[in-house]
Amino acid sequence: MVRFENVGMRYGMGPEVLRDISFHLRPGSFHFLTGPTGAGKSSLLKLLALSHRPSRGLVTLFNREVSTLKRDDLPGFRRKIGVVYQEFRLLDHLSALENVALPLKIAGAKDEQIYDHVAELLDWVGLGNQVDAKPRTLSGGEKQRVAIARAVINRPQLLIADEPTGSMDAEMGLRLMHLFLELNKIGTTVVVATHDLGLIQRFGNPVMYLKDGQLSSRSAASIPDSFSEANG
Amino acid sequence: MIPIFGKSAELQLEKDVSSRYLPVVISAMVFLAAMAIGGLFSLSDAISDWSETLTGNLTAEIAYDPTADLDKKTSDAVKLLSETPGVQAARPIELEETLELLEPFLGKNDIIKELPIPRLIEIIIEDDSAIDLLALNEKLAAAVPGATLDTHRPWLDKMVLLGRSVQFLAASVMLLVGIVTVIIVIFAVRTGLIMHSDVIQVLHLIGARDKYIAEQFQNYFSRLSLLGALPGLMVAIIVMFIFNYLVGSLDASMLPPLALGWKGLVTLALLPVFVALLTRYTVRRVVLQSLSRMM
Repeated sequence: MVRFENVGMRYGMGPEVLRDISFHLRPGSFHFLTGPTGAGKSSLLKLLALSHRPSRGLVTLFNREVSTLKRDDLPGFRRKIGVVYQEFRLLDHLSALENVALPLKIAGAKDEQIYDHVAELLDWVGLGNQVDAKPRTLSGGEKQRVAIARAVINRPQLLIADEPTGSMDAEMGLRLMHLFLELNKIGTTVVVATHDLGLIQRFGNPVMYLKDGQLSSRSAASIPDSFSEANG
Repeated sequence: MIPIFGKSAELQLEKDVSSRYLPVVISAMVFLAAMAIGGLFSLSDAISDWSETLTGNLTAEIAYDPTADLDKKTSDAVKLLSETPGVQAARPIELEETLELLEPFLGKNDIIKELPIPRLIEIIIEDDSAIDLLALNEKLAAAVPGATLDTHRPWLDKMVLLGRSVQFLAASVMLLVGIVTVIIVIFAVRTGLIMHSDVIQVLHLIGARDKYIAEQFQNYFSRLSLLGALPGLMVAIIVMFIFNYLVGSLDASMLPPLALGWKGLVTLALLPVFVALLTRYTVRRVVLQSLSRMM
């Protein structure tokens, strides 16, 4: 599904923000990605989301080495990946329903197929009565749920979430994690980047721990109680 | 499926301040292009008319000589010319008629009757005749002293050269207008790409193809171009009508009226479509080129 081999990444001529990253995510696995602020989590997610290319090393997604992908191949690959951004990245002038429908519309689905499916999904994430609401009228948690619905509407094979529970209360955070688990059960590979150690320990899934641009695999129990402790 | 001139649903280009005045600029460009087309086709028609009229028409001139019998000289010349193969007709232009031709320039008064005015003979050449005008001129001068043949060729050559130069100028103006329009559109599109880079990135990451994004730019800018081109064309047509009215109101105008002919009218009618298509093509190239530099 996903394989990184000695991957390095830098922005422009700057220093490497990721160094010698190697890991393998099996199809249908569920991983947390954590580490101190500035460790390179967002950069790693960008590589996974095909938003950036690595400076060195090999990234293989869905059995294709990313550097061999042609520009015309990228949209097809990106449609297999759902991304939930920390800052939501919703289109403010579109309603919740239109935002969620966007990946289907872009993929060329017919209107009647789109809207029934989208309304059902919004209902599932608890926004059934907010389908026409614009993002600016929604709370942080509601925006996050719209962003999640948009990420999963295409039934992605790989779901990447960056701090998905950061802007919602604990109860809603747990509900969303259960939603991710349900998706995972039907075969979606899930990577959740979070600072919430309580969440990681509660669910007990494998953890990718990133520090100073380098990655190590840990079990949930072996994660330090705080990142300052880990730094020390 | 996005309609050809549909709104840019995701990019909301309609709300951009940067491209709001593009139709005004396009309008000015189309006005200039339409005027250039008007000039180009009118001159083309005028040059053809001059050539056709003057190739079939010659004038023989008998120099003024107070001691000679000009009437006899004129009738001799008419006789000689009429008998020349290839000449369809030779008609002496009466002195009164000649004086009437001078009236617009010298005014209507009796003093012009006292001027040393040469006698003129209008000669009509048969269609497709291979008459040797140089030989005819020599023959005429030998038979009737003081008579010369005016083929209008030097005047016509100068007028044709002038006409062709103005046509070249008009074509250059059209080319310049096209280049300036393309440059303006490129700047507007690049500004739009920068302003909407966040949304473009989101669209890319949820699987949008470059063509999908380019179509939104193409549709929006084509619409702007068309909206600008139509008023520009209408103003140009009004100006042409005013020009023709003013030219028509002059008794002895040296300026030909703007007569486009059907080819000119079709070209003029297609101008807004051409501008919209040029914009569409330019926008597509710029957007696809810029997007190809993104991941």
